[in-house]
Amino acid sequence: MMQEAKILSAKFAIKNSNKLTVAKKHGAYQTLDKLFSSKQGDVIEIVKNSGLRGRGGAGFPTGMKWSFLPKGLDKPVYLAVNADESEPGTFKDRYILAQDPHLLIEGIIIACYAINSHDAYIYIRGEYTTQRTILQNAIDEACKAGLIGEKVGKQNYRINITIHRGAGAYICGEETALLESIEGKKGQPRSKPPFPAVEGLYACPTIINNVQSIASLPWIIQNGAMAYKRYGIESATGTHLFGISGHVEKPGVYELPFGLPLLDVINEMAGGVWKGRKLKGVIPGGSSCPVLTPEEAATATLDYASMAEHKTMFGSGGIVVLDETVSMPELAVNLTQFYHHESCGQCTPCREGLGWMEKILKKIVAGEATMRDLNLVRELCDNIEGKTVCVLAAACTMPIRALLDKYRDEFEALLKPEPTDAVTEASAEQE
Amino acid sequence: MTEMIKLFVNGEEVEVESGKNLIDALEKVGIEIPHFCYHPALGADGNCRMCLVGIEDGRPPVVPACKTLAKEGMKVLLDADNIKKIQHDVMELEFINHPTDCPICDQAGECKLQDYYMKYEGTESRMWVPQVTKRKMQDFGGGVIHDQERCVACGRCVRFLRQITRTGELGLVNRGDDCRVEFFPGRPINNRYGLNVVDLCPVGALTSADFRFKQRAWFLKRAESICHGCSKGCNIMVDHNKEKYEDDIIYRLRPRQNEQVNGWFMCDEGRMTYKLENDNRLEECTLAGAVRPLADIFADAERRIERATKVLFLVSPSASLEQLAAVQALAEKTGATVSAFSDGYIVKDDGDDFLIKDDKAANRAGVDLLGIAKSRTHFDNMAKEADVFINFGNDLSRSLSEEQIGRLFSDTWVLNGATHPGQLGAVMEKKVGSSIALRSWSEYHGVVVNCDGIAQKFVGGVMKNVERPDIVEMAAGLGSPATGTAAAWALVQKKIPALAEFGGFLELPAEGVKLTDNEAGK
Repeated sequence: MMQEAKILSAKFAIKNSNKLTVAKKHGAYQTLDKLFSSKQGDVIEIVKNSGLRGRGGAGFPTGMKWSFLPKGLDKPVYLAVNADESEPGTFKDRYILAQDPHLLIEGIIIACYAINSHDAYIYIRGEYTTQRTILQNAIDEACKAGLIGEKVGKQNYRINITIHRGAGAYICGEETALLESIEGKKGQPRSKPPFPAVEGLYACPTIINNVQSIASLPWIIQNGAMAYKRYGIESATGTHLFGISGHVEKPGVYELPFGLPLLDVINEMAGGVWKGRKLKGVIPGGSSCPVLTPEEAATATLDYASMAEHKTMFGSGGIVVLDETVSMPELAVNLTQFYHHESCGQCTPCREGLGWMEKILKKIVAGEATMRDLNLVRELCDNIEGKTVCVLAAACTMPIRALLDKYRDEFEALLKPEPTDAVTEASAEQE
Repeated sequence: MTEMIKLFVNGEEVEVESGKNLIDALEKVGIEIPHFCYHPALGADGNCRMCLVGIEDGRPPVVPACKTLAKEGMKVLLDADNIKKIQHDVMELEFINHPTDCPICDQAGECKLQDYYMKYEGTESRMWVPQVTKRKMQDFGGGVIHDQERCVACGRCVRFLRQITRTGELGLVNRGDDCRVEFFPGRPINNRYGLNVVDLCPVGALTSADFRFKQRAWFLKRAESICHGCSKGCNIMVDHNKEKYEDDIIYRLRPRQNEQVNGWFMCDEGRMTYKLENDNRLEECTLAGAVRPLADIFADAERRIERATKVLFLVSPSASLEQLAAVQALAEKTGATVSAFSDGYIVKDDGDDFLIKDDKAANRAGVDLLGIAKSRTHFDNMAKEADVFINFGNDLSRSLSEEQIGRLFSDTWVLNGATHPGQLGAVMEKKVGSSIALRSWSEYHGVVVNCDGIAQKFVGGVMKNVERPDIVEMAAGLGSPATGTAAAWALVQKKIPALAEFGGFLELPAEGVKLTDNEAGK
């Protein structure tokens, strides 16, 4: 029987675990002595050796990201914690924020010490009002207890943590748009290079890490890199908080090691497809990941390499299960509508293109489209992707392309025949 | 000299200046990379995605040219199929929500969307769903009209007002295809350089309230000139046209690039000085109140100069070097005194640290270089003694009141050469012996020296229906040895040795000639 591995979620079930006294009773802040007796470079090495990869979606190795910081600069280094969890289907960070904020704060202390930063910003999704209140209370408690502030854990090391609330823009979860937003500007991704590790917040070196990545640090420091590597597989070590939603019997957040078979997780942890219905598809890691058909899902395992083999992404681990009643064209409309609404409007292809795709898909769903519309929207997926500053455009075109290719007959069933006058018009033009 | 580097474009080796991005570096050697948002004066933004080029063996293989520095040995691909497809696709996406109302758009003819469509897209629209609709004809203030539907959201206007004027009236608001340029409610464009956003706009989204619907761009004739509105001498383009049976009219002035002087811009006041060239001009030459041929007026004035005991010439500080030299030569021949009194051309505290200067005279530095007196005492003393006074286009009403002018010349015979009525005051002009309607700066060629000592040439392309003499011709008519601009230019060269190497004013380089203080003193 599959079992959860409680590394991040160890205190989730404990009552009032977000209070400092309770958290401390259950082991919070025990790594600080060990941390400050290690050299900063050693901490980075431990994290590198642990194989921890960024949990925000891209899966970039955390320790390697840290080592990109330029050496010997006289500028301050900033840590930005990305708590702008907005990807549809993703709801893991909110549990850490609400259930165990002190785990995050402890992780921030570790990260700050490792990268020699004294100022951390937590960019929290604007809609997370409860989580923000809990997190702010936790920061206040930690500050009062001297765990953060001027002398962290009685050491001569200052760390200030500031919460910055977003105003409801998905794009602010993109790391450079997040920085723009903290700086008080319109949330629009920056062109790279320069990368944030060189020129980030207020033009200073900045490391941006996801909440879950940061929250994984205390356990790694406490138990060592080798212990962490015992979870998961070689290319993806440790555990992940999987948010399983959609048409399953027991939706929720499950902490599991990497590498487990996707269907087994759905069936054993989440109770399988609900109401005994048939599976139609699985979105494996948040809405921007291309959908898997039941056949593909049967061979996929929950790690980066397997998902890449199946031409999709591990993403944020937000698994959305779709049963046989789902209309794929309507899902396509729903997704495009979201990404069109969230496009920041900076780059031409994304700004103009996503709205166009939404209108064409709506026309298809309304039964007013013909084959040329369907071919056009499929072509647009290729025309829009890969030409923009950030990957929001691709986050829309990739899942839509997958839906169009894998469930094309469903779209075609909605088409009406090509009007004859258009045909004659076209042939007249050719002459 | 700038360092040169070698790189490859589509496999062919080209030599370009180092330290520039690919757009600028390749533009100098005649290779175009299409772009909307990049502008040399505003820097790279990278939002239009039109300038994406391929870099062979590069990582990443496709980069925005505006943000990519030209490097030695770089292999740039512009004609690769994937790059051509990107250009085609981006253009198609620029167009889907564009109203394509070229027949009623003022930008037509000088619009990047039109040019790029012909060059990079050229396919039928596939917009088979309704377009996004936005606001039309929005008054942005400062004489700028905005059409949100035509906008490509390149943000040049926004960046100009943030980076150059630092007034920041405009911003890009909303997301996705609802993104648009707006001003903050109740705070429209309000600065003295606002109309530059119209030139910067690569499409017809921002148009000038003053120019719109007046003339199609392709009908306009262009003359490279220098703004005569102040002593900065901004390089401008005079856009004018003579319609059938009508007079030659200037429709607008636009800034012309000169890194040494004005960069890419000019002020709004300077831009509007074209109206003075068109309207309320003196048309007739009179002798004792009656319209007479120019020859009669010249003969009469010449006789009076000969008989007079003391003659005073007043020149304008905006006159060209040639004109000043011609009047000087006439003064030397007849024993007259020349003054360039023009205190009223200086408007205290009107200037700023960008382009606008206190001194509204276009050639005061030239007046000084030729050694023409301009003090008030000198002028007053000479005016009191003179029994003949000849004005060569100086707007004396700027410096003195009507009574003061009347008192100074109560017993003096006056010949008034002027471009506009009222330059000697309305009262005085009724009493003048003769008057000559002169050409204005848009109608003659010449050289003026700006406040920084840069000598710049300008071409007068406007051909008015009414034939008027310019000041060189007026001086020649009165007997100046400088019988034409060429002769006058030779006189200028004698006085300003730094200009000796240029056979004619047309030989001056486009960026002007810096006349240092040392050379001026010789």
